[in-house]
Amino acid sequence: MNRLGYYIALFLLLAQLTAFAQLDSIQKLPEVVLSDARLVNFSKGFKVENLNDSVVKRNSNSLTEVLRYNSSIYFKENGYGMVSSPSFRGTNAAQTAVIWNGININSIFTGQTDFNIISPLNYDEISIRSGGGGVQYGSGAVGGSVHLNNNFSFHDDDVTNLGFRYGSFGTFGGNISTIQTWDDHYLNVGVDFISSENDYEYISKNGKNHHAEFLKFTAKINEARKLKRGVASWNSEYSYSDRNFSGGLNTVGRDGYKDVNTRNLLQLSQKYGQVETRLKAAHLFEQFRYYPDSEGYDYSQGRANTFIGGFESELLLSRKLRLNGKLEYTQIDAQGENIGNRNRKTLAAVVLMNHKPLKNVSYGVNLRQEFLNNFDNPWLFSVDAKWDVSRIYALRLNGSKNFRVPTFNDLYWYAGGNFVLKPETSYQVELGQEFKIKDLNIDLAAYYISSRNLIKWIPTSGTIWRPSNISKSENFGLEAKVDYKVRLGKEHWLKLIGLYSYTEAKDLDKDKQLIYVPYHKGSASLNYQYRSVSAFIQGVYTGSAYTTTDNTDTVDSSKVFNLGVDYSFASKPNVTIGGKVNNVFNVYYENVAYRPMPSRYFEIFLNFNI
Amino acid sequence: MKNYLLPFAAIALLFASCSSDDDNTQVDPIVGDYAKGILITNEGPFMNGSGTVTYVSDDFTTVEQKIYKNVNGSDLGNIVQSMGFNNSDAYIVVSNSQKLMVADRYTFEKKDSIVSGFVNPRYFASNGQNQGYVTDWGDPTDNNDDFVALIDLQTNNITSTISVPFGPEKILNHEGSLYVAHPGGYGQNNLISVIAGNSVVKTITVGDVPNSMVVVGNSLYVLGNGKPDYSGEETAGSITKISLSTNEVTETYTFNTTDHPQGLTAEGSQLYYNMNGTVYKLDAGNISLPGTPILDGFFYAMEVKDGLLYATDAKDFASQGSLYVYDLSSNQQIQDIQTGIVPGGIYFNN
Repeated sequence: MNRLGYYIALFLLLAQLTAFAQLDSIQKLPEVVLSDARLVNFSKGFKVENLNDSVVKRNSNSLTEVLRYNSSIYFKENGYGMVSSPSFRGTNAAQTAVIWNGININSIFTGQTDFNIISPLNYDEISIRSGGGGVQYGSGAVGGSVHLNNNFSFHDDDVTNLGFRYGSFGTFGGNISTIQTWDDHYLNVGVDFISSENDYEYISKNGKNHHAEFLKFTAKINEARKLKRGVASWNSEYSYSDRNFSGGLNTVGRDGYKDVNTRNLLQLSQKYGQVETRLKAAHLFEQFRYYPDSEGYDYSQGRANTFIGGFESELLLSRKLRLNGKLEYTQIDAQGENIGNRNRKTLAAVVLMNHKPLKNVSYGVNLRQEFLNNFDNPWLFSVDAKWDVSRIYALRLNGSKNFRVPTFNDLYWYAGGNFVLKPETSYQVELGQEFKIKDLNIDLAAYYISSRNLIKWIPTSGTIWRPSNISKSENFGLEAKVDYKVRLGKEHWLKLIGLYSYTEAKDLDKDKQLIYVPYHKGSASLNYQYRSVSAFIQGVYTGSAYTTTDNTDTVDSSKVFNLGVDYSFASKPNVTIGGKVNNVFNVYYENVAYRPMPSRYFEIFLNFNI
Repeated sequence: MKNYLLPFAAIALLFASCSSDDDNTQVDPIVGDYAKGILITNEGPFMNGSGTVTYVSDDFTTVEQKIYKNVNGSDLGNIVQSMGFNNSDAYIVVSNSQKLMVADRYTFEKKDSIVSGFVNPRYFASNGQNQGYVTDWGDPTDNNDDFVALIDLQTNNITSTISVPFGPEKILNHEGSLYVAHPGGYGQNNLISVIAGNSVVKTITVGDVPNSMVVVGNSLYVLGNGKPDYSGEETAGSITKISLSTNEVTETYTFNTTDHPQGLTAEGSQLYYNMNGTVYKLDAGNISLPGTPILDGFFYAMEVKDGLLYATDAKDFASQGSLYVYDLSSNQQIQDIQTGIVPGGIYFNN
């Protein structure tokens, strides 16, 4: 493996030399500068879906909601607004990577991201990349990755968005975001918050969702400056979340949780002919405080600082061959009551290649190796290809090896943490087909994932639980996505999006479906637009999922529909007013057993576009 | 463990409508006769869900899961920790739901409940004179708020609480005196409190982490788990023998430092316990550790009665467990019966 490391270093050096050898005319910047261009350039044979603004706005309360209604990812949500962990293609919660402007932000402690502490309004683009992304995004990108990007454009008009939301269960929220561009500058500043009593009735049960109040506040600054040969940019984000945890049907909620996260990223991109280099420095801070009694002062906490420094160069040869080499150093310093003071240093070397030998064929080969840390680091690879067979039909193929490193909790938790854990590893393949017939798009995908050394906490003799690399799983699934836009008459538009997924995820030792992985999930939305009026209905069907490892108990299937309408005044400033009825049919449902989700509820909003 | 018998088909398994959780609504009760049998309390899944009670008839031919729900149409609550009896009543301690449910022990019809006053209730015992005692950890992060709640068993009200040392767990009645073991919640402790009436009359220091106790003759035998290695100061498991007439320690037997036994139970003068995947037998009058190994298994709860050893297996704590029954004359397994999730208590309902 060491030899591979040398080759990577050599490649980077060569790329750098080429860079200086090829100084020539100043390159023009693209219209929109992507904060993470690799997502586009080196994922040709992968399914990458972008959720546009209007889709995000319909479910703006949490990232969980956005993705529940608009992707195949299943969320295990402990009651509305509480801890929410994903299962992407049947993988576990630590096997979905959340990538903020190209940086993996999964928690150092848990290995996962709580999708209820991320505000979907904070980003210009939310993308879902299905399948293994370990080479590009590191640990945890096994089932897939969710990308939160703040892009920028020096051609943007100055615009300010101001919104207010008010809803049932004492919910109110607000957001303001402004984009200003002048000379060589781009500046985007915004804040948003949401707060809720969250005390919904449990339909047909005696009870209310007590002790479930939440508050979420986020602020962002995204700044960029055009340079002679490129761009310097700064992305910054602060988020605060304060929640009481509800008890659900059988318990009394007493505890509370507070999260603080800050993220900062500085990037300097320079272009020299066909070579583009990028220097990157980032700092991530995460802190959680768990209050066993939400009204008390006692808490246990964990804090972690992550520093990342990286250098990347990319070479584009005759518009056909794109080569990218990256070295990235990460240092994590964490402390917590349950883990002590711990740190981890990692050096990652990554080589990405995309080649377009024919006009309609493109393929990629990507490699990653990590060094320095104490794990037996597997080298990761991914290969992908896309073939545009005809104007209406394209084929996609990819295969990859991915991993998930043990979290600090897995390694150091007192008591039970296990120092000698290995990373979880998985191999996967995917075949996708894309049809495009005028305004009808169909995407069909089939995948297979085989995972080994899965980390599982199991009771050992006595009373202690310990993690070990004992579990194996195999996932197989089918996904279909249809979107269709049709114009009826002169000014009536209908847009339909439908998603369906079938997921089999087997624990190979027990030969049983993994818990909280429903076999079936489907969602659909129908949007109607007539001049300044638009209306939509969206629904999600979640099949029943097992809650016990011997598949004897289930959480029931559910169908939930939301209905919304809004109207835009053609005034200046532009004003939009709208409302939404959630859970129109007032059905009782749970995503986690005994954790009821909200009864029917209403929301109204008012947006100004200045 | 090798000769698995076919699990008995769970009969009379009734999926009561989950639309009604209303205590006042009577769903047609299916009145079972749960006398002459074994009741297993199943804690249920830890974070979400309800614990249950499984009934197994004495002749093992009848097994019924979720008997409380079948009869009453409602769930017991989260983490059914344990159960105790007083006359014809069963007192079911539901720890995470902070309540004590009262049901007729033979029909399992709900009779009452105490839903306030508990924080982290653990075990129940009656003093035989209509006074009940429930051990309670209080806030598990606070070592100074642990208590025993006193319950008037005629009115089913908490009448007072007694402050006790950190981590009260199992409680046992001997002629009106209550012996409370203090293994120490999430930490470790090494005490037995003796309660009479409304007060602690004596505190006895025993081996670290007393996790189970039995009365044989005029002695209380307390099995200590010892402090685990992760505590940083590992200590040996132990058996402490206490005279019930003087409440003084008369003998202490110590295991090897890395041995951490649990699940002490007794019949006649024979003691049985579980350690490192083996069940050992000891003569209470002539203790020589570790004793005679009689069978293999890691058990979550263990009780012995009429020459049979009843032992539960909680498996991965996220699926249905098993009750194994062994014939102690041959040390062979004679039954493998499915239970609910995390079977933590075995009770004889006669």
